[in-house]
Formats: sequence, C-alpha cells, structure tokens
Amino acid sequence: MVRFENVGMRFGTGPEVLRDVTFTLEAGSFTFLTGASGAGKTTLLKLMCLGEPPTRGLINLFGHDLATTRRAEFPNLRRRIGVVFQDFRLLAHLTAFENVALPLQLAGNEAEEYEKDVDELLGWVGLGDKLHVKPPTLSGGEQQRVAIARAVVARPDLLIADEPTGNVDADIAHRLIRLFAELNRLGTTILIATHDRNLIERTKAREMRLVDGRLVELRTARP
Amino acid sequence: MNAKPLRSRIAPREAGAAPLDVVIVIMAFLAALALGASLIAERAAQGWREGLAGRLTVQIIPPQAGVAKDKIARETQAAVAILKSTDGIVAVTPLSDAQIQSLVEPWIGDGALISDLPLPRLIDAVVSPGAMVDVGGLALRLKRAAPDAVLDDHARWLVRLKGLADGIVWSAYFILALIAVATAATVAFATRAGLEAHHDIVALLHQMGAHAGFIARTFEWHYLVSTLFAATVGAFCAGLLFSLARGLELAGIEPVPFLPPMALHAWELVWMAAIPLAAAIIAWATARVSVLAAVSRIY
Repeated sequence: MVRFENVGMRFGTGPEVLRDVTFTLEAGSFTFLTGASGAGKTTLLKLMCLGEPPTRGLINLFGHDLATTRRAEFPNLRRRIGVVFQDFRLLAHLTAFENVALPLQLAGNEAEEYEKDVDELLGWVGLGDKLHVKPPTLSGGEQQRVAIARAVVARPDLLIADEPTGNVDADIAHRLIRLFAELNRLGTTILIATHDRNLIERTKAREMRLVDGRLVELRTARP
Repeated sequence: MNAKPLRSRIAPREAGAAPLDVVIVIMAFLAALALGASLIAERAAQGWREGLAGRLTVQIIPPQAGVAKDKIARETQAAVAILKSTDGIVAVTPLSDAQIQSLVEPWIGDGALISDLPLPRLIDAVVSPGAMVDVGGLALRLKRAAPDAVLDDHARWLVRLKGLADGIVWSAYFILALIAVATAATVAFATRAGLEAHHDIVALLHQMGAHAGFIARTFEWHYLVSTLFAATVGAFCAGLLFSLARGLELAGIEPVPFLPPMALHAWELVWMAAIPLAAAIIAWATARVSVLAAVSRIY
C-alpha cells in the first residue's frame, strides 16, 4: 500500500527533518506514528499525502513509484487518501454538512446521492444537530470532528490523521477511534500521528516512532 | 439548506470584494463613455464630410457699395444658367435674401442693419454622386458670364475638415484603447487579488484530489459572474447618460451649440453591451490562467 525507502527531507538549506526513513504500510493495516514535537511526524504525513516531494529516497504509493509517476496521475492518487489535518483546514464559508460533502462533490456525486450518508456520518461523530452550522461558530473539538468526517466520508484506501483526538474529550476520542477501527475493518489502511498514549494502549495496532527524524519500530501489530 | 449547488459556492463571496467591484463599475462606466464618444465622433465626422462633399457654391460678390442690384441679379441668372448646363450638376438653387440673411444672423443679429449690408448672392449647386466636374473650366465660364462670380468647391475646407474629423475620431479611439487597457488591467488585478486571498482553498481542493480544471472552473465562473454584474452596472449608467442626451436632443434642447449632440442612437447603444462582455471574458481568462498557474506551482 505504502512503501518508503531511505526517504530524506530537508526544507531549503536547513537540516534534514527526516533521515533514511524506511517502512511499509500493508493494505488494511492500522498504525500509530508517535514522536516528540518537531520529530518530523507532520512532514512524514505530508510526504505520504503527496503534499511535498522528498529530497531523496523512494516513495511508493498504491503501487506507483512517485518519482516516475506522471503529475497528471497525482489527483487520482490523492482521491484515494483521506487526510485529517492538524489545523483542520475547513472552509469557513461552508456549513459542516457542505465541508464533509466536499470530497464526494469532487468525485462527481450528486447531492441526492450523498445527503443521507453525510447526515449519518455527522450524527456518528456527534454533530447531528450542527449540520448547517459554519466552522467559525463550532468549538475546536467540533471542527476536528468535521475534519475527520470529511476525511473518511469517501471511504478512502488510506487514511492519514495528524493528532485527530487532540481537541476532544475522552468519550469522543473513544468514539472516533471506533470510527477509525470500523473504517479499517472495511479495508482502509490507517496511519494516525498522535501523542495520546491512552489511545495507543487501547488498541493492538502497530506503533512507529520518529526520533530526531529517524524511524524506530516500537511495536508490531498484536493479534 | 442553500438552494445553490455546492460547487458554485466553493469559491466564497469575499467580504473585501466590494471596493474592487466599485472600481470595475467605474472603469466600465468610463470605457462605455469613451466608446460612446468614439461612436459620436465617427458619426459627426461622417456628417461633416457628407455635408460639404458633392456641393459647389457660387458667390456673386458686389464689388463695391452702391452697385445696381439689377446687375447682381443678371449675373446671378447667368451663373445659374451656366451651372444648370454643366454636366454632373443635378440641382442649382439660388438662395433667397431671407436665407442669406439667416446665415449671418447668428453672428450679427437680426436687426435692420442686415438688409443694408452688401451681402453676396449665393447659389448652391449639387453634384451628382461620383460625377467629375471640371471645376477650373466651370470657374472660367462663370467669370466670363458673371465677372463678380466666385466658385467655391470647398476643397480647402474639405481637406482641413477631413483632417480635423480624422483627428477627433482617432483621438477618441486612442482614449477608448487607453481606458480599455486600464479596465482590462483593473479586472485582471481584481481577479488575481481575489484569488490570492483564496490560495488556501485552491491548496485544499488540490490536496483532496481535484483536477486543475475543476479548481479553475470553480473560480472562473465566480469571477465571470461578479465582473459581468459590476461591468453591466457601469455600462448601464453610461447608456442611461447617452439616452438622457438623446431625450434632450429629441426635445429640441441643444446643450452645446455647433457641436454634435452627445447622444447615441438606439442601435449604437447596443455597443454598450460589449463592455461587460469583454470585462467578463477578461475576468474569466485571468481567473483560469491564475488558478492553473497556482495549481501547477503546488506539488
């Protein structure tokens, strides 16, 4: 599904943020990415969601070597990835419902086709009564849940989430993890960057840790 | 839920756009005024040319005060006869005393003094369109039959008038071109400024896998509609002004004597529609090129 080989990344003439990062995410796997602030987690996720090209090394996504894949193919690859950004990146002038519906709209679906699914999903993340509220009037935790709903609504092949439970209470965090687990059960490969040890301990998922830009395998998935 | 489709609302109506819309309204108004002025100048120049071309004027000038009026009348009759017998001249009209006096009235008034002035007799001759009249030969024949006759084919005036008319028309076109370029630049600037403010939306759509064409269509439609609306308001205001001038003209009110009325005919007003259409096309093209360029810069 995802393969990084000796990937290095630096911004401008600064030091390398990622060094010789090598790992594979198997299809249908569930993985946590941990590490101290500034260890390179967000940069690694950025490379994985085709947000930046690596300075060196090889990235293979869905069987495509990114170095040799035509740029015109990238949009099709990006559509197979759901991303929960740390800063949410919701469109402030659209309602929660419309923000979540955006990926489906991009995929060419009509409103009648997705209306029920979006309603249900927002209900699942606890925002059933705020479908038509715009992000600026939602709390940080609510905005985060809208961002998560938007990332999963199109049932992506790969879900990448950067601190998806950072702004929510324990109950909601537990509910969101169940949502991710359900998505994973349906076949989505999941990579979650988090500091939340409780979250990690509650699951049997694999854990990879970034230390000073280098990747360390801490725990393999438990049966 | 909003009745408009989601796709048409991905590009937001930005709060800071009103001043740019006002600028587009003003530029479209100025461009429409310049276009209208060009059309009026062109029409006036054409009218001046046609008014003098194809006409000859014979003056029978009294050589000195106290010359017998019957001598002038005889010379006038002789000149009329020669003009009528000349090939290519289709109408010969000696002007009456009243008509001649009315020509000088605007300058010296209509008092009793006019009748005492030694005004020349005037004969207006119309040349058939396309006919070539030997002006030199005609002048000689007139001189023999009426020694006080002077033939004026308006050539001197026509050359200068043509130069003046061409100058006015080309000046109007030049001003129109300048305002058109300024309007185009304003629309392009307004569009690019709006897009700069929405770079985060472009980046998000790109990240979500939207093709460059989809992102461009989202924004180009937005800017096409808003510019079309703003420029229509500007052009409509200019059209209203020209229509008002036309109303004054029809009511017989002449704001500036001797100058052509600043009014457009109904078919000329149709040209006003070109301004918002051109502005909308510029906004559309600018938005498309800017978005495609922005997307191509993102990985």
